[in-house]
Amino acid sequence: MNLLLPGMYFAADTALHRLDPRVKMGAAMALMVLPFAARHPIGHLLAVGLVGAAAVLSRAPWRALLGTLRTVFWLSFFMFFFYFFTTPGRPLLALGGVRVTVEGLLAGALQVYRLCLLAVVAALLTYTTSPLQLTHGLEAMLSPLARIGLPVRELGMVLTVALRFVPTFFEEIETISRAQRARGVDLSSGPPWQRIRNTVPVFVPLFLSAIRRAEELAVAMEARGFRSQPHRTRLYQLTLTRADAIAALIVLACGTIGVLIR
Amino acid sequence: MHIRVESLTHIYARGTPAERVALRGVDLEIEPGERVGISGPTGSGKSTLVQHIAGLLTPAAGRVLLDGVPAHARTPEARARRRQVGLAFQFPEAQMFEVTVFREVAFGPRHLGLNADEIAARVRWALEMVGLDPDAFADRVPFALSGGEMRRVALAGILALKPQVLILDEPTAGLDPRGRADILARLRAWQEQTGATFILVSHHLDEMAGLVDRVVLLADGQVVADGPTRHILGDGDRLRSVGLSPPPGVVLLEALRAAGWPVRTDALVIEEIISEIVRCIER
Repeated sequence: MNLLLPGMYFAADTALHRLDPRVKMGAAMALMVLPFAARHPIGHLLAVGLVGAAAVLSRAPWRALLGTLRTVFWLSFFMFFFYFFTTPGRPLLALGGVRVTVEGLLAGALQVYRLCLLAVVAALLTYTTSPLQLTHGLEAMLSPLARIGLPVRELGMVLTVALRFVPTFFEEIETISRAQRARGVDLSSGPPWQRIRNTVPVFVPLFLSAIRRAEELAVAMEARGFRSQPHRTRLYQLTLTRADAIAALIVLACGTIGVLIR
Repeated sequence: MHIRVESLTHIYARGTPAERVALRGVDLEIEPGERVGISGPTGSGKSTLVQHIAGLLTPAAGRVLLDGVPAHARTPEARARRRQVGLAFQFPEAQMFEVTVFREVAFGPRHLGLNADEIAARVRWALEMVGLDPDAFADRVPFALSGGEMRRVALAGILALKPQVLILDEPTAGLDPRGRADILARLRAWQEQTGATFILVSHHLDEMAGLVDRVVLLADGQVVADGPTRHILGDGDRLRSVGLSPPPGVVLLEALRAAGWPVRTDALVIEEIISEIVRCIER
């Protein structure tokens, strides 16, 4: 595996890594909303500036961050052409019955920019926050809902397990496809129907191993006396520091300005 | 097939903090029909090296030539040569997906574009080679077999490709001693029957002793020793210095020698060890 995969934690010790997960999750949410809520170019400038600053602070490799854009490629592609062809306005070009407009071009580009920013913010959050911190933060943020009967701790556990196995499964896909290639199968060539059939030798073993892993994990948790019900204490308590306060204030200020300015 | 590895370097997770150099400038040449063991401690780059020989990885630097053609190239010549290299990964049964043993073993041959009769013949032959009765096993569900049987089915799937080069990455890991000895004896018989190049990756040096003529020792991504099996495995101190345990026979003879017995320490198979001890007693 030669690339940092989307959703993978990237262990390092940067200012962004040290921030409280609750602050980071709140900031990520704000930065995801801002490009949609902003009306004035200054709002968008602030969003891009903050995300850019976070990207620099995270020290995540540029290639990896750009790689995450692939996850939204097709969606962006369709969104762009949808807006491009359906937005009314000043005509830019008319070919036969199809008329495209300047407004359409801008609206399409805006959608692409929003989706890209969304992908990068999500990637930055998971790159700089370990799965454990992520769930801890989520549990802390959802804890008020426990009073109305939401099984917050169980949800947290499910999320931890799911996130923990994302890189494992990517690695496993890689190993299994290599092993099948060693059995004489070229998985990435041939006509489309052949390529679809070629996914079977990869996904059947992958699912089998996922089920096996789930069983083993359940037994291992049982064996260590895991129970979600009695209140569990944690080794690391979340405490807000001065850096957290500053980060929260910056995002809050930029967000407010970005949304209010017209 | 002639295999030539030229200053091969491989780096995992390049450009991330998890970056790890698995191979550093490995040079190696393997002649057609040679029986070679590759050993080294965990993380020494054994598996990475053999995956390069099978053309499954792209080198960071250097190259692997199969009969003069770069192994990982996307050309028809390279593809044809890769097809002649059969590699069984560690725990190869983890890659099984078919509904019957027959279809599982036939998977590789089918993709070679063989006709149905030839495929059926190869499946029978391959199952017999690994010691499974084709009539009793062909229609069974692979996942309902025992661990040892699953391993044999998976290995049969590689043998059915009739490769000119067979690479086995820890083929006996996790099997009981009798199963290990039986599988290795059968693979050896297969090698003698076909005359193929045989590359065995293992850190069980005593298993390797009777099976290969040459041993390549890897440590930290580099070749630290390469020579005749007896020469490499008989040198207990060198094996220990790279973090491997010498074969038990070598340890025994070393102990006798330390106690003042004039024994050779490079006897590897049990008969040789016994006759060496008997010779000293009778002297």
